[in-house]
Amino acid sequence: MSDNEPQTDGSGPGIVAPDDEVPSWRERKERTTGLSRLTYEYFERARREDQDLRQESSYVERDVLGFPAWPHETIRNLSLASFFTGMILFLSSMLPPHLGDPANPAQTPEVILPDWYLYWSFGLLKLGPLNPELSILGGNKLLSDPLYGVLANVVVVGAIAIVPFLNKGSARRPVEQPFWAAIGVGGVVFAFTISALAVKNLVPIEPNLLFDLTFLLPFVAAAISYAVLKTMREGYMYDLNRRYYRLRPPR
Amino acid sequence: MSLERKDEYDHGAWLEEKDLSAVETTYLKSLMWLDKRFRIVDYLELMEDMYYKVNLQMPKSHTEQYNLDNKFWYWYPLYALGSFSVIAYIVAALTGALLGFYYAPSTAGQGDPQAYAQLVAIIKDLNFGFMLRSIHRWSAQVMTAAVFLHMLRVYFTGAYKEPREVNWIIGIILLSLTMVFGYTGYLLPWNQLAFWAGQIGVEMALAVPIVGEWGAQLLFGGFSLGQPTLQRMYILHVFVLPFVVTALIAIHIAIVWMQGIAEPH
Repeated sequence: MSDNEPQTDGSGPGIVAPDDEVPSWRERKERTTGLSRLTYEYFERARREDQDLRQESSYVERDVLGFPAWPHETIRNLSLASFFTGMILFLSSMLPPHLGDPANPAQTPEVILPDWYLYWSFGLLKLGPLNPELSILGGNKLLSDPLYGVLANVVVVGAIAIVPFLNKGSARRPVEQPFWAAIGVGGVVFAFTISALAVKNLVPIEPNLLFDLTFLLPFVAAAISYAVLKTMREGYMYDLNRRYYRLRPPR
Repeated sequence: MSLERKDEYDHGAWLEEKDLSAVETTYLKSLMWLDKRFRIVDYLELMEDMYYKVNLQMPKSHTEQYNLDNKFWYWYPLYALGSFSVIAYIVAALTGALLGFYYAPSTAGQGDPQAYAQLVAIIKDLNFGFMLRSIHRWSAQVMTAAVFLHMLRVYFTGAYKEPREVNWIIGIILLSLTMVFGYTGYLLPWNQLAFWAGQIGVEMALAVPIVGEWGAQLLFGGFSLGQPTLQRMYILHVFVLPFVVTALIAIHIAIVWMQGIAEPH
């Protein structure tokens, strides 16, 4: 492999000097004269001394595969982040939150809802119809419906947590792994449908149909995205393989 | 032959062979004297490093660097979601501290509960109060949204893979804690929505066998909602969670720093 070819092992900062003619910082310092030149020479010696001491010690430097967070990502992110902070201020001035009636334990409101980001969890509490009635127990349920709902939450979070232990390897793009991308799309769609189930008295769909759709739509979406990605992959991977796996062979 | 080990870094001898003027010798000797005591070289290196970074040209993008298709630029805004949730978190912390000056976690009071009355006072009487609450609430909403989207970005770009499992798990814990943050904050105004959302929480806790009742008493201060619930939610929201979440965010970001950001290849 020639020196000009791009490195994919994370080595090198990815910064190219403007031109071969432009002197490096070392060269500039070597060209100086007088006291600055002496400073440079002395510090070079001192640095070498430090380096030798480090090499004698048991200190080990490891190469980590990745892209530096500082300064590359940080600079990029700061501009985006100030834009987003402005967006928060804009939103809060345009859409101030509503403060409802004070708490009244005597009066149950028609609609009880948590904040939107907990709809999925609230929806999982309404899985009672899926709780199996065991004939061994004389048609009784092994778990009460609320416990079943709480356990559904635990199962969902646990399933997300073990993903990195199931899916390994160096593939990064969704097209490279249609199966896992399809799982992800199904999960996202399920998060939305289960949220819709949580607010079913606000959704203008017949409750039984909504319940069925809640579990059907994720599979449909997953199947479609699997088919699409699998099809894309045929044309896509050829080009990608040629350019990329040549540089970074799969383990 | 001397028994003494020969000093490879005999700066004195080096100085001798240089044949320098008096000014140069004095300068260099005092530099060595100071460096021997204060290790100026370390700090100089730091400053040099900063100097280079200030004069850095913008790095090549990943796609340029690796000569990939140049159609992946649209991924990059998604890479800001993590830092964006941190910034929303900071905004929420600042406004939250200011709101805390005016809020009281109390259900006492003849008509409206005191917590609710304080919120009305913040909104109606306090200068900039409505905006303050508005910013706090919106930054919380935006932080939650950003954290969810951040998780999706990490999933779909496979960034959770092999060396980064620990950060994925910490991320899930952080996502859950963000939702707990939101939930405890949702309860603080002690309005109808807050009260009945709290009721769901107690029912969820009570549904769990063995530890459920204990958990309900610990987190909600009993099986029905009241002053203890509000106070516990307040302490969770302003004391426990900020420390835990801030520490976890620091670890999360430190690990990203150490491992680098996983780019889609």
